[in-house]
Amino acid sequence: MNEPSLYVEDLRKSYATVVAVDGLTFQVERGEIFGLLGPNGAGKTTTIRILMDIFKPDAGTVRVLGQPPGAARQRVGYLPEERGLYRALRVSECLTYLGQLKGMARAAAQRRAEELLERVELADWGKRKVEELSRGMQQKAQLAASLIHDPDLIILDEPFQGLDPVNAEMIRGIIRDLRAQGKTIVLSAHEMSLVEMLCERIVLINHGRAVLNGRLADLKKQFSPNAIEISPPLPVEGWPGVASVALEDGRQRVTLTPGAEPRDLLREIFNRGLSLDRFERATATLDEIFVTVVRGEAGHERP
Amino acid sequence: MSARSILTIAWHEYLVNLRRPGFIFFTLLIPALGLLGLIVAGFFSGQAMGFLENQFERASQQTGLVDQSGLFTPLPAGFGGQYQLFPDEAAARQALLDGSLSGYVVIEPDYLETGDVTAYSIGGLFDAVNAADSDTLRLLLVHGLLAGQVDAAVLERAADPVNVTPVTLNEDGQPTGSTDIGSAIASFIIPYVLSIFLIISIFTASSYLLRSVSEEKETRVIEVVLSSVSATELLTGKVLGLGALGLTQVLVWLGSAVLLSGGLAAVAAGVAVALSPRVFALSALYFILGYLLYGTLMAAAGALGTSMRESQQLAGLFSFGAAVPMMFNSLIFASPNGTIARALSYFPLTAPTTMMLRLPLTNVSTLDLAISLGLLALSIPVVLWAGAKVFRMGLLLYGKRPSLVQIVKALRQA
Repeated sequence: MNEPSLYVEDLRKSYATVVAVDGLTFQVERGEIFGLLGPNGAGKTTTIRILMDIFKPDAGTVRVLGQPPGAARQRVGYLPEERGLYRALRVSECLTYLGQLKGMARAAAQRRAEELLERVELADWGKRKVEELSRGMQQKAQLAASLIHDPDLIILDEPFQGLDPVNAEMIRGIIRDLRAQGKTIVLSAHEMSLVEMLCERIVLINHGRAVLNGRLADLKKQFSPNAIEISPPLPVEGWPGVASVALEDGRQRVTLTPGAEPRDLLREIFNRGLSLDRFERATATLDEIFVTVVRGEAGHERP
Repeated sequence: MSARSILTIAWHEYLVNLRRPGFIFFTLLIPALGLLGLIVAGFFSGQAMGFLENQFERASQQTGLVDQSGLFTPLPAGFGGQYQLFPDEAAARQALLDGSLSGYVVIEPDYLETGDVTAYSIGGLFDAVNAADSDTLRLLLVHGLLAGQVDAAVLERAADPVNVTPVTLNEDGQPTGSTDIGSAIASFIIPYVLSIFLIISIFTASSYLLRSVSEEKETRVIEVVLSSVSATELLTGKVLGLGALGLTQVLVWLGSAVLLSGGLAAVAAGVAVALSPRVFALSALYFILGYLLYGTLMAAAGALGTSMRESQQLAGLFSFGAAVPMMFNSLIFASPNGTIARALSYFPLTAPTTMMLRLPLTNVSTLDLAISLGLLALSIPVVLWAGAKVFRMGLLLYGKRPSLVQIVKALRQA
């Protein structure tokens, strides 16, 4: 049984005068970390809320863990972008209650709350009130709250918001652990470098539609220029097979002519006895792909 | 709709708000005030005795009488001890200034036509009224006017004409309750006080409802909550949990009233219940319906407002509806079956409070009950349905208050 964890087909949703989601189609396979990307206002949050059965779609098919939205609520964990906790409650009390709302028994929820607080290094803060925690700590507590009922599918909307590098690393570790446990994670974030590190497949949404969809590795190859990054910069202008040379951030990018092979350039460098620290095929970063596609779309904006 | 979710929410809301210092303080405040009142009364009763004794001393001084009408000279028999007749005002005034009178009364020359009498004293208004001593004066005047002109028995009756026994008849024409003034008071004071308690607790519970909703929205925790339970389950759970809180509050007040009065209130309440189970049952019904109505409106206000303060302003509109009967309190008290009282009983927003005030005071007609309950029964499902929709819509609109058009559109969506 290899049905997708998430299946969205031709999803549509409008508010008053705004078309938020305009025929969106994508799916998320079981056990993968999937990136849900897009610029602000692209329709990501609306889509996520529809998946969580907070909003109802105008049209389209949505299947969450094989069922209509809302039916499998207790198996889905959700960390919303606009998030918060009950300020006056104690941290563990708050997490326990949220676990109970997901159908857990009180004692089980309490135990899980303690385990998770331990995992996010907030064990000492369990008895404190939420309002006493710093912003970063509250973010970690909120992540814990989304995992308390041991969900099979976890949707994280901007989980790295407001976290310092150490905590961001911790969250990355948690996400990897979850994947190792066989869970499916849908990650929406603007930190492209982090997304790149974690996600296997992505969908890029713009103006409510999918403009890119597929395995990250394939997309990178698709968008990658036929170019090499060399350091230290070498005087390769005019060499056979070299189309152009550019210096970017202290790194030299040598764009080859179509059909030219990198190893020919490498051979030429060795033949000339030049010393080399780094010779690497340039792949487009997700950041570059994002900007290219979204800017390109900007030219075709709907009235 | 999962009963389990609803009960989890209800229990959580109940406990969290029960623990709030504000709630504990307010709930214990009433019994504390009652206790204080008892202590103060006890303390002052000692003082009061002294004060009253003082008055009696005063009263042992005579009152002067200047009869310019000529009808009361000589003084009627039996009043010589308390009143002393003076030939003119100057003499009476002198005696007052000398301190041998507590005050004097001048019967004007045209007394027979006008009834005019003027009372003089030194000490101030209270003393002047005292000097007039209207009960004894009235007796003197009646005796003076009728002595010798009518039968002695008629004279006595004219002097003290009435001795009222109130009897209330129920719909079948049977006398209800005992005609003893004491238990008549008990059978109205107890339910009346209970009504006030119920009204206060409806508003305490509703305001907690508003605050709870508004807080979840302000802290943004609402989105996670809505990913776990539906908006309707949330609303129902909160309404139930906080309704139970309101009831708890009333029970604490009743319990402490029983304790403070040394069980006396329980006896009186028992008597009252035996006398009018109808009143109690109807009051309970209006409490439930009133709470459902106001609670839902408050929750909707909490969901629509962009901040707690704004929600409270919205809620203020509805609270006004409930406060109106309280403003007309004395009118309802004076004529509980009057037009205003009846009109207020029909309009759903003012019906619960008005009826809870009317029921202990009078036999409310079946017609009034039918119309009042009927309109309430119609309005509550509408309010619940619309409230839940508005609730669902308003919750996620951070920082934007929905326009009236958006609200109407949300209501149209299935």
